Amino acid sequence: MPERRRAWSLSIGAALAASLLLLFLAVPTGSLVVSGGAAGIAGLARDRELRRAIALSAGAAAIATLLVALLGTPLAWLLARRRFHGRALVEAVLDLPLLIPHPVAGIALLLLFSRDSALGGALLALGLRVVGTPGGIVAAMAFVAAPLFVSAAREAIARVDVRYEHVARTLGDTGWRAFRRVTLPLAARGMLAGAVVTWARAVSEFGAIVILAYHPRVASVLAYDRFTSFGIGEALPVAAALVVVAFVPLALLRALRMERAP
Amino acid sequence: MIRIRALLARAGEFALRYVSLDVEQGEYAVVLGAAGAGKTTLLETIAGIRRSDGGTIAIDGRDVTYDPPERRGIAMVYQHDYLFPHLDAAANVAYGASSRDDARGAAEAAGVSHLLGRDVRSLSGGERQLVALARALATGAKVLLLDEPFAALDPPRRAGMRRTLREIQRREQLTVVHVTHDVAEAALLADRVAVLDAGALLQTGLATDVFARPVSARAAELLGAENVFAGTVVGRADDVVEFRTGTLVLHAVADESASAATHAVVHAGEIVIAREAMRSSARNAVVARVVAVTSNGALARVELDASGTPLVASITASSARELALRVGDQVHASWKATAVRLC
Repeated sequence: MPERRRAWSLSIGAALAASLLLLFLAVPTGSLVVSGGAAGIAGLARDRELRRAIALSAGAAAIATLLVALLGTPLAWLLARRRFHGRALVEAVLDLPLLIPHPVAGIALLLLFSRDSALGGALLALGLRVVGTPGGIVAAMAFVAAPLFVSAAREAIARVDVRYEHVARTLGDTGWRAFRRVTLPLAARGMLAGAVVTWARAVSEFGAIVILAYHPRVASVLAYDRFTSFGIGEALPVAAALVVVAFVPLALLRALRMERAP
Repeated sequence: MIRIRALLARAGEFALRYVSLDVEQGEYAVVLGAAGAGKTTLLETIAGIRRSDGGTIAIDGRDVTYDPPERRGIAMVYQHDYLFPHLDAAANVAYGASSRDDARGAAEAAGVSHLLGRDVRSLSGGERQLVALARALATGAKVLLLDEPFAALDPPRRAGMRRTLREIQRREQLTVVHVTHDVAEAALLADRVAVLDAGALLQTGLATDVFARPVSARAAELLGAENVFAGTVVGRADDVVEFRTGTLVLHAVADESASAATHAVVHAGEIVIAREAMRSSARNAVVARVVAVTSNGALARVELDASGTPLVASITASSARELALRVGDQVHASWKATAVRLC
């Protein structure tokens, strides 16, 4: 009996601690949506600047996600399937964007792409300007969100038994064909989930973007801009609209996964 | 035809060591070994899935040592079928086939045409394994590598699949390397047997020779010999040597290497059990006590105690019934000197 009571106490304690954390996470965002949600949706209908900022956020995040997926999938495969020298260094590099403050990431990117840098100068000579352009927004988003995709894709690929690839190779596939025909379809769901999280992270990025490309304004920069210029009342609808835009795909994805789960 | 010479392959702490093996065109070779002997490593190295660290592999006269798997002209079937779960049975069979006709032919040969419309997750273990076999056959590869392909099946299905596989292999003149720990499977299927232990081949040869004449006590054990005795040669008279093991003295045919023998092997099937002492040509005869009788289908395994030395005899279940063997009974066991293999 005392053992049963101890188990009960443990469960109740865990539930209380979990509830506190969940409330801490949900209440501020929830109240933001509740107090600014209607105005945000109305704002989407009549506020052209907000519409443009949301579209820019969503579009730039989609391009950043696509780029990260294209470049990150081979890296995820390498990390999931191969043992190689320098692997720890690669993993540390992948952790960098998660560890450094995002304005610092913005400054680093600014140094890389500024007209005085070798790369920025070369790109400018080709007529490509990154700083203060949608290209800069995509670069900042890709920088901060890339580790999320690589990590999700790596896990998804690692979950596919490597022997499926081996069998495909003995059935005549090259390494790439075996990956495309077997591993990729089997890892697709996990990679798609990673892409959605990456996109949501990119949409909500502020710190790096505000340094690298304040203009054209994405939704997060617009919310900040209105807050500092006009106060919370003007910033609230933008912030609420941004929360809804970032959260909806994630919620849809989770619902889809729950539906498919056996 | 496969020619392997001095093959070295490391897999973590484990290594295949200087493995040399020839398998002729249309021959069915079985590599026999216990778990951890390196059977799968050997097969994956032949397939090119694993890199070799030395030696050469030639398939149909072409050195493929450094070729990727897809250019070796082989197909492989694993113990766990590894059917692609995102494809149905038909798409699995057609995966490596160059035409629909090839896929259809392979499905027919493996007897899985009726399963082609099915989701692979709905297939039974035996059906899945046959589909995996059809998938390998559909590539048209003339060399088939089989990694314990029947291990996951129940005995009746295993027997059926063995028959199917052997028929296909003979009809298509496939060169097969099949690895297993199952001695009965090796005995039933193999033209050629290789005994692998701790990464090294102990013995290779035609199945009949290898089973009849294991080269060492360890090879004998791996080949399923139930009576392996450690001892020494204590005497020689004309064409017969005397080999002492514990309380027993075995008589064996003398050959050049007999005097250096440290082990004697007698297959359980060579031992005759009788209720009464018999006058016969058998040079070995002992009185023993029945310790256990276990039935295994058509055969009965009789464990005996011959003055402290354990003996195992394999007789037909009907013989065991006729002799009415019971634990504790005293019986007479005999075997010929030619049945004793010294090594």
